[in-house]
Amino acid sequence: MSPLLPSWPRGVRVAAAMTIHVDGPSVEAGKGLLPIGIHSAGRYCIQRGVYRYLDMLERRGIKGTFFVCGYDVEHWPHLFREIHSAGHEVAAHGYKHEAWDLGAQEPALLHKTHFLIANALGEAPVGWCSPSGRKSALTLPTLRALGYIYDASEKDCDAPYMLETPEGVADDFVILPNNTVSLDDAPMYRIGQALASEVYENWVQEFEAIRENEGYLHLTVHPKAHVGSGTPGRAAVVDKFLGTVTDSGKASFMTLRDMARHCLAHPQAWRRPRVIALEATT
Amino acid sequence: MTQDVVMLTVNVQGIGPEAAQTSPSSLYGRFAHGRYAYRGGLISLMDRLRQLQVPATFFWPLFEARCCRAELERCVADGHEVAAHGHAFEDHATLLPGREAELLELCGETLAQWTGQRPTGFRSPTGTLSANTISLLGRQGWRYDSSFVDDDSPYSLAADGAPGMVELPWSESLCDATHFRRRFSQRRAEAAMAEEFEPLLDADGYMCISLHPRGDIGVARPARLRMVDALVQKARKRGARFMRCAEVAELALTSDGVVWNGRAKPGLPAVDYRS
Repeated sequence: MSPLLPSWPRGVRVAAAMTIHVDGPSVEAGKGLLPIGIHSAGRYCIQRGVYRYLDMLERRGIKGTFFVCGYDVEHWPHLFREIHSAGHEVAAHGYKHEAWDLGAQEPALLHKTHFLIANALGEAPVGWCSPSGRKSALTLPTLRALGYIYDASEKDCDAPYMLETPEGVADDFVILPNNTVSLDDAPMYRIGQALASEVYENWVQEFEAIRENEGYLHLTVHPKAHVGSGTPGRAAVVDKFLGTVTDSGKASFMTLRDMARHCLAHPQAWRRPRVIALEATT
Repeated sequence: MTQDVVMLTVNVQGIGPEAAQTSPSSLYGRFAHGRYAYRGGLISLMDRLRQLQVPATFFWPLFEARCCRAELERCVADGHEVAAHGHAFEDHATLLPGREAELLELCGETLAQWTGQRPTGFRSPTGTLSANTISLLGRQGWRYDSSFVDDDSPYSLAADGAPGMVELPWSESLCDATHFRRRFSQRRAEAAMAEEFEPLLDADGYMCISLHPRGDIGVARPARLRMVDALVQKARKRGARFMRCAEVAELALTSDGVVWNGRAKPGLPAVDYRS
């Protein structure tokens, strides 16, 4: 489809990212709920889900990107240190998974989570994914000032692209779009009411199309109970999919941070051929 | 038995639906799925229709046509029909009559200017209509509307206020957005379309397929474009003929009113729904 098939490191045909949105009790805390009883699905991440994924990734030799909320890091720092010391990337995902407009408070909350992660791990995050996919005009300027190099919140492209701003195309910040449509467990389980076998089949169809097209695979899973893939049955389907991708011999897993660094080393190659400015349309 | 008629229609929707409901400073992430259409989705869909050699009808909102002048030109050059899809995703049900008349006129004039041909058909951008829309369209000389979901084949809009017009109803089951809005897997969406496909054509030999060039509610993702292939192949296997909406409208509008498959289709008698 694209005349600009991107070039990945070492001739890799598909650059694959395994992203894990931890979404612990921060989600319930953000909604003003006690994370107990039927609202304890987020605690599943902390007690079981994250460990299940750490084991899976170790067994498969995959380095993943864990998007984490500041509130969860504040309360269970040991868990996030464990993720970090296993060599995975830890990136930012809101304080209490705020899915609403934060107004003027937003920069302060981005700072808060940033330093919670940096202080707990001794390494600052360089990537961010919006909890809920919301963003404002304040978001990226704040993150760029903190040294971030990528955003994984857009859903409008099959490949990475350099950030487009009113001042022009940046060469020090890249958009690594996520795929909440076809490679994310939560919408399919929550809204689509899918069976795990249907989710697997849909992911494989998506992977096969990606192989023939842009070569960028961005998988998102939630290691929680309820709408996620933390529980053994659904986690087994994620594991099976990782096996399918790996066994194809066409894909290589890397963290989003490594993918972003690769793009930033060749910014010209990652400009999209066409940008439509909304200003021109109104 | 006459030959089945299939219309493949595309509702050209990019960021327009979001822009009509969200402030410009929030058009990111989950409120910007529509930009997928601009970053390749619309061109991919046109490429696929070119490969399949299917003449289609593209309903263009002025908002999107303004964003995508190059794609609009490509659409005409590929032999597709350009029809109207409103101005900028206004809810027609709440437009005042003067404003609505003005916007419909603007759609016709602007698309005529940009494509060299005046559009003859209209489909509501949000699905809604006001009590005046049909009669306004009729007075302005439009030939067909394609916003209703209330019949299996074309019928006259005379009783709805436009004696010279025909309704080309669309089918919710054969619309990608119906299924993908519910986050169906591709397999389920295909199955849902398949359930209605043959029975609908069996009923009156008429079918309207509606697609979107988006990544979320549409078929523009590489993994989904093969659904278009499958629909087209299935229709061709039945011997169906792909026609543009404007041609179907002219076929149905006869001197004896709207006739489909030899049967008069007068539409429902007029009723005052507000009484």
